[in-house]
Amino acid sequence: MILLKLISWPYVRQHLPRWLLTIAGIVLGVAVFVGIHTANQSVVYAFHQTVDRIAGSTQLQISAGETGFDETVLDHVQAVPEVRVAVPVIEAVVSTGVQGQGNLLILGVDMTGDRSLRDYDLESSGADDDIDDPLVFLAQPDSLMVTDTYARENHLGPGAKVPMSTMDGQKLFTIRGIMKSGGLSSAFGGNLAVMDVYAAQKVFGRGRKFDRIDLALKDGANLEDVRAKLKTLLGTGFQVQVPSARAQQFDSISRVYTLTANVTSVFALFIGMFIIYNTFQIAVTQRRTEIGILRALGATRRQIRTLFLGESVVAGLFGSILGLLAGIAIARGMTGYIASLLGEIFGIAQKADEISTNPALMTFAVVLGVITSVVAAVIPARSAARVDPVQALQKGKYQQLSAGENRARRIAALIIAILAAACLLFERYRIFFYVGDALAVLAALLLTPTFALLLARALRPLLRWMRPVEGTLAADSLLQAPRRTSGAVAALMLSLALVVALGGLTRASYDSIFGWLTVALNPDLFVSPSQSLTQRDFRFPESMGAQLRAIPGIGEVQLVRDARIEIQGKPTMFVAADIADLRRHATLPPVAGNTEEMFRLASQGKAVLASENFALLNGFKLGDVVDIPSPSGMLHLPIAGIVTDYSDEQGSLLVDRALYKRFWNDSTVNIFRIYLAPGAAEADVKRRILDTFGNQRRLFVLTNRDVRRYILRLTDQWFGITYVQIAVAVLVAVLGIVNTLTVSITDRRRELGVLQAVGGLRNQVRGTIWLEALAVGTVGLILGLALGALQLYYSLHISAEDMAGLRLRYEYPYPIALWLLPGILLVAFLSAIAPAETAVRGSLVEALEYE
Amino acid sequence: MNRLIAALFLLCSLASAQYDFSLQIMDESENRSRAGTQQYEGTLEVISAGNKVSIKRWEYRRIGSNGASKAILRFTAPAEVKGVALLIVNHTDRSSDQWMWTPAIQRDRRIAAQDRSTRFFGTDFSFEDLEERDVDQFDYKFQDEETIGGLACWKIESKPRQSVSSQYTSSMLWIRKDNYLAAQIENFSKDKLVRRIRYSDIQNVSGTWTPRTVEVYDANRKSRTVLKLEKLEYNVPMKDEDFTLEALRR
Repeated sequence: MILLKLISWPYVRQHLPRWLLTIAGIVLGVAVFVGIHTANQSVVYAFHQTVDRIAGSTQLQISAGETGFDETVLDHVQAVPEVRVAVPVIEAVVSTGVQGQGNLLILGVDMTGDRSLRDYDLESSGADDDIDDPLVFLAQPDSLMVTDTYARENHLGPGAKVPMSTMDGQKLFTIRGIMKSGGLSSAFGGNLAVMDVYAAQKVFGRGRKFDRIDLALKDGANLEDVRAKLKTLLGTGFQVQVPSARAQQFDSISRVYTLTANVTSVFALFIGMFIIYNTFQIAVTQRRTEIGILRALGATRRQIRTLFLGESVVAGLFGSILGLLAGIAIARGMTGYIASLLGEIFGIAQKADEISTNPALMTFAVVLGVITSVVAAVIPARSAARVDPVQALQKGKYQQLSAGENRARRIAALIIAILAAACLLFERYRIFFYVGDALAVLAALLLTPTFALLLARALRPLLRWMRPVEGTLAADSLLQAPRRTSGAVAALMLSLALVVALGGLTRASYDSIFGWLTVALNPDLFVSPSQSLTQRDFRFPESMGAQLRAIPGIGEVQLVRDARIEIQGKPTMFVAADIADLRRHATLPPVAGNTEEMFRLASQGKAVLASENFALLNGFKLGDVVDIPSPSGMLHLPIAGIVTDYSDEQGSLLVDRALYKRFWNDSTVNIFRIYLAPGAAEADVKRRILDTFGNQRRLFVLTNRDVRRYILRLTDQWFGITYVQIAVAVLVAVLGIVNTLTVSITDRRRELGVLQAVGGLRNQVRGTIWLEALAVGTVGLILGLALGALQLYYSLHISAEDMAGLRLRYEYPYPIALWLLPGILLVAFLSAIAPAETAVRGSLVEALEYE
Repeated sequence: MNRLIAALFLLCSLASAQYDFSLQIMDESENRSRAGTQQYEGTLEVISAGNKVSIKRWEYRRIGSNGASKAILRFTAPAEVKGVALLIVNHTDRSSDQWMWTPAIQRDRRIAAQDRSTRFFGTDFSFEDLEERDVDQFDYKFQDEETIGGLACWKIESKPRQSVSSQYTSSMLWIRKDNYLAAQIENFSKDKLVRRIRYSDIQNVSGTWTPRTVEVYDANRKSRTVLKLEKLEYNVPMKDEDFTLEALRR
């Protein structure tokens, strides 16, 4: 501690900007880690809280995926002796006409029994603590009970009208109760309204179905026993779960997004490590004399090593704390974005206005930042410990701290590369695949100094040809100290490899999705009850299909009902459509299976068609039997065909509508797919549909172009995080190059001084540093593009097997590589400007005295 | 209305077998209120603890006698609740079945047995209070003789038999000695007073003594509901098919 105060602190004060640069690596890594995780967690936490607050004292919840179930189920549940209270629930998110208020979560409940489960804690409308009139509330289907927060923010009181979208178009609802803040009313950020469950059935087109039953048990009843009893009573088509399990489903659905966020965070820290390594190398280089004095005064090698490691702990701690603050700021900006993204993609709405900071995550981030800093400082600390006090104290004597290449490391790299290749032989065991990827990166990192040296040699003639003096000096600087530049080259290589891998993955995904949109998604119009095709809260009655068919210009109408149900414990998109109709317009050959056979079997209700991503993510093959739970019992259907379908990120199963109607007793429709009659104009038909239904029903008529744009917009949003990764990668590249050049200038201060003393022009010194920066950029670029080619292979496999279930074609992203070439060289050049100016503007005498 | 009154006091009664005297009183009370059918127009005044008053009106029709009767209660005012109706099918051996009809959404809903303890739509009655139960569903115990409002009464405790579900663990009934009508009922849950019901304005309608005013006091909420019976008639011809779910929906 004394050494830190006496030795380290004066150095830090003297080189404050450089130290800030050092901790920038940690700040960046921790900030991205905390920011993305906190934002993601805040959204998940908001959903958990909404589920928790809505649950009230509910002990068990009964559901059948998103399909809902018949009202009669409620009678069976209420008849179970251990059940104290069981109440029906309908939940939906609707947009209101109240400006700036976004969506409102509607909770449809049966007020007669629901108060046993949920505390509505109503605002007094006088001395009475009740709804203004409970009978009027039930008698009038426009009755709403809103939260105090919502009422206050919108200046609404009892009797006020709230416009809301319903199945029958926009309607005015009347506030007949206001709930006090806290508890239930703080769910969904306070944007919550309660209405009668039977009115909700009508408003949301649910028919005579409920979404869920919430129940509480009699005193003394065992939860697990009752759960088992209810499962037996209701059959496999129903989920009987504790309320928190519902929130866990959201975790499962957003798993891929969380995984992507993790990759970005870990990546940021990993690259940050190389920046710290580089900046510690600066410190060791600059403080050689100081270290020599300490050693001469009796300090042991161990004490010197501990001093530098101690500095790294302090730097790590300081950087981590700054990173935490920056991360929280990032989270504040990202939470709303992630909430709306997950809501749009998965159709699960949540409102996350506030960020939730998790002390465990914060602690972990700080520990991770400190560990990263310490690990990065190990090699520089060892170098510092090796400083020879005699050489360090001799003026003009220079000790090469950055020792040259080491044969053992090359051999180790070779062995690791062979192991990485061997892992590919067993890639069906995922652990081998991931270990193989990590080994490949490790081998590349170990070989970086060797490759950097080889490439610098290769570049020397080119640099000399460009500028004979400056080029030679720049190339020699790289050749003399390959390990000095290897940190920056490694950071740059990793960053660019990531850019190539992500870019390639994104491009391949876009190509596949675009191809599917062009060929397979071919209806002319889509009629949906919601502008967002992923929202399934509103449904149309089946009879609307016949009304649509009667509209002039419409050639064919396909009725589609999609809902998420639980298959093998995972929420899976289940799509019901008339298979024979689909067959007529099917243009894409199946990934597996015979086209005619699969459509024949599926249309007869004897088989199911699986999307490729469902099959890949869940390990299903052609012919495998899928157990599908329905409210009428378990369906065991073989997979007759595997098809390309990107409509759901988790994968989907397609069955014939007749089969769905029979087993789910649900004839409602989510989307009508419309094919125009020959010669009909799209705009005319769209207008006719709106004229026919516009005033009676809530509906949106989307053209094929609209839907494509919508899907591509969602894809853009999904890959938004990729752009964050790319931005981090480029930023890291800049920091890395600036650091390398600073080390280089410090190391060569005397050499550059001599150059000026013997008549070298300032511009020649500048040119030397600029060329050195361009050389570092070029080496990093070449290695990065090469490692990127390998990482793209791994990324495509991870995407196919573990994340999105998309089997994408390997295609090197040459356009990205071509953009990177001038981009990185420009960045390298810009990074060199400040260090070059430092080199030429310093005192010549001091420079000559240096060392 | 007598059916309703009988239900209100019978549902919570208790008497052990050795107090046949109490059972005889209760039997006699039930017999005196027995009528083939009953109908009236009720005015319901709900007075909150803060003296906020809301008024509603309903039409009530009943067919059958205690414990085996059916009744339909249909709101007529105010306009927002007009047409909302409740069908009650009483059984001799168990709790009644109840359905509510909401005309605005053309839907009926079953009122689950578990929900019978909840308030009947903002009034101080609970759904259970609207049931009519047979005297045999309770055990009785004679307590004392007391005077209520200057009228001599028998004070009898009633407890629901084990097979009968009720929100009340016990009730105290004051039965008038002059006409065997209940003058007051206090309903308890674990010794805590939940509701007190008072009967007044007794009139002889077609040979049946009937209270024309029923006042329910909710001890928790400190609010009260006053039901006034108008156009009360007994033994008016009615048909069974007018007391079905289909009839409720009409």
